[in-house]
Amino acid sequence: MLLFSYLLMSGITTGALYALVALGIVVVNKATGVINFAQGEFFMFTGFVGWMLHVQFGMNYPLSFLLAVTVGFLLGTLTDRIAFRPIAKTDIVSLVLATVGIGFILKGLARVIWGGKADYLSFPPITSPEPIMVGSLMVIPQQLAVLAGTIIIMLIFAAFFRLTRAGKMMQATADNSRAALLVGIRTDRIYTLAFGTGAAIAAAAAVLTAPLTLLYPDIGFAFFLKGFAAAVLGGLTSLPGAVLGGLIVGIAESLAGGYIHSSVMELSPFLVIMIVLVLRPTGLLSFRKARRV
Amino acid sequence: MPFGRRNVFLALLAIGAIIPAFANGYQLFVGNLVTIYILLAIGLNILVGYAGQLAFANAAMFGIGAYATGLLQVHLGWPFWIAFPSGGLVAAAVGTLLALPALRMSGLYLALSTLAFAQATQWVFLHWERVTFGAGGFKTPQLSFAPLPISKPIGLYYVSLGLVVLLYVFARHVVTSRTGRAFVAVRDGEIAAESLGIDLLRYKALAFGISGFYAGIAGGLYSALLNFVAPEGYDLFQMIIHKATIVVGGMGSIAGSVIGAAIIILVLELLREVKGLQEIAFGALLVGFVLFMRGGLITVLRRYLRGWEEPLRIKGGESTETPPRAAPQPSVVDK
Repeated sequence: MLLFSYLLMSGITTGALYALVALGIVVVNKATGVINFAQGEFFMFTGFVGWMLHVQFGMNYPLSFLLAVTVGFLLGTLTDRIAFRPIAKTDIVSLVLATVGIGFILKGLARVIWGGKADYLSFPPITSPEPIMVGSLMVIPQQLAVLAGTIIIMLIFAAFFRLTRAGKMMQATADNSRAALLVGIRTDRIYTLAFGTGAAIAAAAAVLTAPLTLLYPDIGFAFFLKGFAAAVLGGLTSLPGAVLGGLIVGIAESLAGGYIHSSVMELSPFLVIMIVLVLRPTGLLSFRKARRV
Repeated sequence: MPFGRRNVFLALLAIGAIIPAFANGYQLFVGNLVTIYILLAIGLNILVGYAGQLAFANAAMFGIGAYATGLLQVHLGWPFWIAFPSGGLVAAAVGTLLALPALRMSGLYLALSTLAFAQATQWVFLHWERVTFGAGGFKTPQLSFAPLPISKPIGLYYVSLGLVVLLYVFARHVVTSRTGRAFVAVRDGEIAAESLGIDLLRYKALAFGISGFYAGIAGGLYSALLNFVAPEGYDLFQMIIHKATIVVGGMGSIAGSVIGAAIIILVLELLREVKGLQEIAFGALLVGFVLFMRGGLITVLRRYLRGWEEPLRIKGGESTETPPRAAPQPSVVDK
């Protein structure tokens, strides 16, 4: 029981992080119809930025968090300007290769700037590392902090889409970009905003998770694949679906890792992506017409 | 046309053939790498540039070829000359199987599912330790050309060069044949291709299989060149190298694949000290060529040199003279 509760708790925590990465992927895909292959590298790079500000420059945690998210947003808008806007009307091969290229530039930069110090950097925890008992559940406070942070970010996000003008314009553009253009929405700016928001969410996820995991330049790809698996489970354009998908992937992976073998965890994105894309390409939450795959 | 493609390539081949006479060990090694990456680039270009299947599993196929060639020698004691073609066939078979998901998805989704497949292949290399020896990799038996009086590096170099010539000619024939035209039709519009009676399963499977075979053969040569096989040789970074070769050389051009491979290996060797710089360079090459020279270096050669025209090329960079999508020149389509 203790093992189960521990696995469940860590599954929910990592699942929440996958959900954030998935949200970033979904926001960009919903608005532009493109998958940003550099999403995982945004996560990695901004995680390093947060580490540098917090550990090397000694800033407090909330300030480094905000700055890292800002850097993430700028990276996202820059990616839109370089690797999406100029080639948006060309073929999908170019779009994919351009974001892959951006991802590799970020990975190389991170390796050159931070890689030499120690390949695996750790982020000091923001709460005490001692586990506490909540009823019969064993919980590490840091996990609670990550979970709370994730929920807050998701709520902010939902509020942004429901309540703000920019959020409504993004929804309109996602629904029908031509109609949105006709009613006077500058869809170009919405695309930029979508890339920026997606990257900012990745940054938030990275700085939240950094105290729980180790940072290294190759971490991005694994998170990208898992986030994509979560997004695919949710149907790729559904925000609640991305959250649900993230939790499912996180919990399933944690249980499989605990009861079968820890190496099975790395296989989860492959299984999820293959099974869902081949058998149910519309995702778990979708009841509408089949989507083009 | 003194600088036509055929003359230039024959001259390059002649230079390639006499390189072992004056090159030192390192230069010969780099030359051999170039031949291996030419094979990889041609195979990937058939799949991505001609058949339009945006797959990211080429590094995995490369690895499967290398592992199969090495493991058949180590576990079953097969001689290299049987294990090596078998490795190519194993990779071709796995590649053909990959065409099955490609039937149900295209574009982004195919890209991501093949990425996930590549990740799963890495996982098998790492964790199926009883067979693959895990993360540490394994040494392959030393290749020897025993009855012939040539050393292993020179012998392997000539074998690779011969295979490049053979498979280059084969690829040129494939892409200008009925099969190649079917690939291009699938690339330019699957529904239109199907309505012309092109069997999607058959041609996608063929494209994946051919590309897998090229990668597998390259993998076998690579394992013999290094005498060592380990998982990290066939990871995501390897994949980006392959993608960069065809983007720099030119998508949808067999000649471009050769040029791309030579340039990429040069960049790789110049920056070999720092992996971070290699990643930055390849990322920048991808972004730069996609933005400023879609169609790759081959489009420049085509524009300024006579005798470099190719049928069925992918459009890009020279929109004034290429026909619109899905409407190839009649002279090419007619028999």
